[in-house]
Amino acid sequence: MLLSLSWLREFTPYEGTAEALGDRLTMLGLELEDIVRPFDAIADIRVGHVVECVPHPDSDHLHCCKVDAGQGELLDIVCGAPNVAAGQKVPVALVGTRLPDGMSIKKAKLRGQPSMGMICSERELGLSDAHDGILVLPEDLLPGARLVDALQLDREVLDISITPNRADCLSVLGLARETAMAFHLPFSVPELPLVLDAAAPACEVPVDIADPELCWLYAGRVISGVRVAPSPLRLRYRLHAVGVRAISNIVDVTNYILFECGQPLHSFDLDKLRGGRIVVRTAGEGEHFVTLDGKERVLTSRDLCICDAERPVGLAGVMGGRNTEVTPESRNIFLESAVFRPQSVRVTSRRLGLTSEASYRFERGVDQRRTLWALDRACALMVSLGGGLVRKGLSLAEPRPFIPCRIPFRPSRADALLGVTVDREFSARALEGVGCAVERDAPDAWTAIQPSWRPDLTREADLVEEVGRVYGLDAIEPVLPPLRRRLDTAGAPESRFAFWGRIRQWGAGLGLNEAVNYSFVGHEDLDFLRLGREGRISIMNPLSADQDVLRTALAPGLLRDLRNNLAQGVQGLRLFELANVFESDAASETTARETGMLGILLYGRRHESGWPHAEADMDYADIKGIVGHLLAFLHLPEPECRPAREHAFLLPAVDVLVNGERVGSMGRVQPAMAGEFHARKAVWLAELDLEILRRLHDAVTVAFRPLPVYPPVRRDITVIANAGLTVGEVLSQVRGLGLPLLEDVALVDCFEPEADKAAGERHLTFRLTFRHADRTLNDAEVDKVREKVAESLKQRLGVRI
Amino acid sequence: MDLIAALESLAPELEKGLAQASSLDALEELRVEFLGRKGRLARIMGELPGLAPAERPAAGQAANRAKARCNELFAARKAAIEAGREAGLLARFDPSMPGRAFWRGSLHPTTLVMDEVCGIFRGLGFDIASGPEVEIDHFNFEALNMPPEHPARDMQDTLYITESVLMRTHTSPVQVRTMLATRPPLAVVAPGKVYRRDSDLTHTPMFHQIEGLMVDEGISMAHLRGTLTAFVRAVFGADTRVRFRPSFFPFTEPSAEVDISCCMCGGKGHAGNEPCRVCKGTGWVEILGCGMVDPAVFESVDYPPEVSGFAFGLGVERIAMLKYGIGDLRMFFENDVRFLAQFGRGA
Repeated sequence: MLLSLSWLREFTPYEGTAEALGDRLTMLGLELEDIVRPFDAIADIRVGHVVECVPHPDSDHLHCCKVDAGQGELLDIVCGAPNVAAGQKVPVALVGTRLPDGMSIKKAKLRGQPSMGMICSERELGLSDAHDGILVLPEDLLPGARLVDALQLDREVLDISITPNRADCLSVLGLARETAMAFHLPFSVPELPLVLDAAAPACEVPVDIADPELCWLYAGRVISGVRVAPSPLRLRYRLHAVGVRAISNIVDVTNYILFECGQPLHSFDLDKLRGGRIVVRTAGEGEHFVTLDGKERVLTSRDLCICDAERPVGLAGVMGGRNTEVTPESRNIFLESAVFRPQSVRVTSRRLGLTSEASYRFERGVDQRRTLWALDRACALMVSLGGGLVRKGLSLAEPRPFIPCRIPFRPSRADALLGVTVDREFSARALEGVGCAVERDAPDAWTAIQPSWRPDLTREADLVEEVGRVYGLDAIEPVLPPLRRRLDTAGAPESRFAFWGRIRQWGAGLGLNEAVNYSFVGHEDLDFLRLGREGRISIMNPLSADQDVLRTALAPGLLRDLRNNLAQGVQGLRLFELANVFESDAASETTARETGMLGILLYGRRHESGWPHAEADMDYADIKGIVGHLLAFLHLPEPECRPAREHAFLLPAVDVLVNGERVGSMGRVQPAMAGEFHARKAVWLAELDLEILRRLHDAVTVAFRPLPVYPPVRRDITVIANAGLTVGEVLSQVRGLGLPLLEDVALVDCFEPEADKAAGERHLTFRLTFRHADRTLNDAEVDKVREKVAESLKQRLGVRI
Repeated sequence: MDLIAALESLAPELEKGLAQASSLDALEELRVEFLGRKGRLARIMGELPGLAPAERPAAGQAANRAKARCNELFAARKAAIEAGREAGLLARFDPSMPGRAFWRGSLHPTTLVMDEVCGIFRGLGFDIASGPEVEIDHFNFEALNMPPEHPARDMQDTLYITESVLMRTHTSPVQVRTMLATRPPLAVVAPGKVYRRDSDLTHTPMFHQIEGLMVDEGISMAHLRGTLTAFVRAVFGADTRVRFRPSFFPFTEPSAEVDISCCMCGGKGHAGNEPCRVCKGTGWVEILGCGMVDPAVFESVDYPPEVSGFAFGLGVERIAMLKYGIGDLRMFFENDVRFLAQFGRGA
């Protein structure tokens, strides 16, 4: 809401600065966003009197003027405007003045004639788009005066952010009321008496409201014999100062009253209202209607319309119709002032994407007890500007009059909620200050009568807020609360947040960088990685096509991050992210299943710097090592890694199993896909299900194992394995023997002879560790067991030793 | 007595040899020559049985002396060589050589702020709560006193899944879910992702919030002020000033916005002669919204009217930007490692 300080002063004699007012209103909940000085750019423009104006001797369109701009001597100014004439008062930019567009006025010669300034058009002053001639000012202005002073322009405008509950402050009147309360000033509305045309017969337009729930009050008056013309400058520039374009005296008055009093009005050309009557009804489904902005709208049965006897002529509270628009030819006006159900206005406004100053106020609630008053005020103003006469007779239907709430109020409850003892007299004055009538029925049982302009005050809590607001929330002494805790929540399992937090600490501690990506991606991103289409959750109203679906995997975001970082020239990248992935789930209350996932991406160099590291790229051993490290961190066993049957975008793709349960997958992003993200090396990726990991982790009990007393004995065994035989198979074969002395078996070396010579054979060396809990082993018994292992490998796996 | 003389000549000869030996290898060669199984001492000792029995003890003693002396000489020379080698190594030691570059991980600044803030509230006795990111209209809006067509819905542009399912626009639905699941007294904070249909220089469609809720009998605005003042001091320093401005949220009444004295300009509103760009010259920056829980919210979760409580919600990125001096919100979600790595594991 743009509030002109000088406009405000017409209602309350506030003498302080704009800044001080802004600060005070801010602390009352009306937050100052900015102070605008809309006419500062033309502060140096003077009023000039064109004393003489003769055609330029060497031009067919220029004029040579002698202008009195209060400089003591007449200024020669060459002017090209067609409408310049002797005797006019005009705005003059003196030499040295800078115009709003940045142009500086200099001494000049125009075709030989000296020019010591410039006579300006409205556009040159940034006041409107008009450029068909210079701006001609009222004759009574004094030459030499500053234009901004002479026209009493609104120099200071406060931009105040009004919260949705404070409909009453969407007007000068409402903000003046708050200002008066805040500074203990008188508050009064400047008189503007309405004089009715005594001679002409009364003229009423019958009003028929079909649904009283949607239209609470509808009133109008007829003004005859108007002359539609531009408004006086002061009114035009006042509207300009608060960001409204001046149109004509009739339309400008409706806007002026809307800003001044908060009551939206609409003017119809009475002669275009067919049947001379008003019907307020909902639209027919699919009914067409052209609004004032020239757009054709298709209406639904939820849209409330103002209609004449035949057709809609306005969208109630939103915008009028082209068919009854006031034009320069209009002579008779029907001026509407009404109250509509806020929700109804909002439905139509939002459905059509059509927000107006009117709809904005109707949605929040207007002061129904000011509706007729505002109508009369507008009529009076219109008559003073447009020359017509207001006809006797008020057209009025008010099926749902405003009935103020009687709100019970306990001062003790206010004290309890605010945490401070507020003096009773202060509370009463505060409530009266915001417009309530207060009945003090008993010391702790008051009744406050709701003011008609405060639709937000209906309950005791609302009144407590008012008392707190006036008292000053900042004046309440801060105290830490006593915290009572429930015993029944003690010993609850670790929260999801805490579990995730530990994994984040693990990731960062291991040396990965935590990334956070948007939860939405594009269907195209998921399609590109060949992720399933089933179960995806689409956004109904996405901001863009690349954010139109919730992610079903973390890979798209991490790969996007890879591309971003490669663009910055990184040689290696190690990212991790913890986030939900989303799939539709009919059984869920929200229709979505949210699964926490851990994603890890590895790319390129294992170490950024050279010495003392060999230059090498990360590979499968790195991603698998990291996954194994996480499982160990969670007290879970080494994972079982099996080739995945098929995977949308990983190749090779490996299923990660813990205790036989699949907890996720890892592998290399298919090179062709990775290439699309500008990767020139292998991209290793893991995605693990945090819900499963958390469950497995919660089930673990950590128990101490006594340390062995006797030394181990180690034997190596090298097997020559055919292509296709995995290390995992060898290990499980050995472990499956259940040998009591065998404590551990691990791969210690892998030699791969050149492929063409050995048909993919590998030489795998395993180290067997033997130990007896109660004695030292001797060589013979260990060798015997080693032999047993070798035999079983030869027989069961067909390897050579 | 030749034998004794031979034994006694061993040590001086060894000494001469050792003086020439500069490496451990040369030392070993000498050791084999003098003390080896077929070395000179062994050979001389091999002649021992040929001596008269009366001479044997003296020769035996001489042999032992010679052996001990030789061993001493070897040990001394070995120590000297090793010391020399160590001195050589030390001379070459360069402490400015780079260390082995262990990977340096980092936590996202939103994680750091969430951890810190949740840690502070845990210290004050709050529990951690959470809720889904895809939410139903009822919990996100209606139960929070925002019925359909309430103008306050304009404050939050919403991404919808269906007419009645949406991406939560704030963490406040966790308030409702928590109250439905437990009875007072309760005190929780709920960190998480939230979503708005908004994207420009100062808005991203996803960001993080932390919701706080405390309900019990006798909870007041003074308690809210105390709790948030404690929080602000913990995050921004003990001398940070706090200001409560009345505001409006449908689910709290009274409502307030909390400003802190600008951490960039110290609340002066200007840096040098320029207005402070962080607080735009006001000396205050807004950090969160809060208020006393609206009775309509208690009604929607069927709480008794005699309880009261407070709620607050703060923007995690906002705090991170103030705390770390980050100027551009969008950097949070670009995941440029040059950005990520700056925050390490905490500050």
